[in-house]
Amino acid sequence: MATDKELSDFLKSVEKRAFKRTAFAVRDDDAALDIVQDSMIRLAERYVDRPAAELPLLFQRILSNATMDWFRRQKVRNAVVHNFSDFEGNDEDGDFDILETLDSVASGLGGESAADSVSRDQILQLIEHEVGELPTRQREAFLLRYWEEMDVAETASVMGCSEGSVKTHCSRAVHALAKALKAKGLAP
Amino acid sequence: MTSNARPTVYQTASHSLDIEGIEARFGVRIASLLGEQAARTDANIAERLRFARERALERAREVRREVAAAPATTVVGRGPAAVLARRTGWWVKFASAMPLAMLVFGLVVIDRLHDHAQIAAAAEVDAALLSDDLPPSAYTDPGFAEYLQQSGEE
Repeated sequence: MATDKELSDFLKSVEKRAFKRTAFAVRDDDAALDIVQDSMIRLAERYVDRPAAELPLLFQRILSNATMDWFRRQKVRNAVVHNFSDFEGNDEDGDFDILETLDSVASGLGGESAADSVSRDQILQLIEHEVGELPTRQREAFLLRYWEEMDVAETASVMGCSEGSVKTHCSRAVHALAKALKAKGLAP
Repeated sequence: MTSNARPTVYQTASHSLDIEGIEARFGVRIASLLGEQAARTDANIAERLRFARERALERAREVRREVAAAPATTVVGRGPAAVLARRTGWWVKFASAMPLAMLVFGLVVIDRLHDHAQIAAAAEVDAALLSDDLPPSAYTDPGFAEYLQQSGEE
């Protein structure tokens, strides 16, 4: 059973990322705060008897479900389904064209060449904006994998899809971000 | 091998790993920058998140207290169909069975009283017939029935 301190530490460590992730999805800070609070309380009510190691996966599941509930309540399900089915990648330039930019974008972000032309704050805001522009499922997969540091199986479990789908979403998200950032001049 | 030859299985797998590695590095880099941006969360939002966390912790304490206050309660099932069973003594079981036993007893008594009333009503009719001046067979005689009808009309 997770102790009070373990639960507190866990919630403290995850709350800001949870808020951002939810805000990306619902695009409303107040609604995102409500969803995160509901998720925290649900975790505390129902899973307080679980070991601390299980809390991250449980919380991410609860948060995803609470976000979906919010969409249902808002009766914008059609829009969500539209976003969820938007799995088309922007591959018209070909994989290799984008792949060539991946390394340069990754090394350029936060590096000297990017810092010279754009301030760091602007870069961070731009990245946040571009992540927010990703299709819902791609963004979910990307954030769970790389921000929440979950493995493919855990991400698939939270998203309720196959591991292959997670890999596809992540890959497309990375390519879309690389392309968008390069278009904004972040690649050297 | 010429430069435009088809890649071998090994080369294809190696290329796939390269792509995954590059994607992963890129993803981690972007995520770390996102984390940096998230750390600059507005003070008002940070305060509301702290409030939410404290509410959740308070709720967790309440749940723990509830569980501690009911030590004799054991969870038989989990999930939505969880059933709570209480370890109980003979007297408690006896007391909980009493209302059911009283209900059955009441139904039996009502049934008996109902039968008794029906028997008594039938006996009363029989006694009246037998003690009358007319024999019971007279009521089945068509001529007597016609006589009664005419008497009634007059």
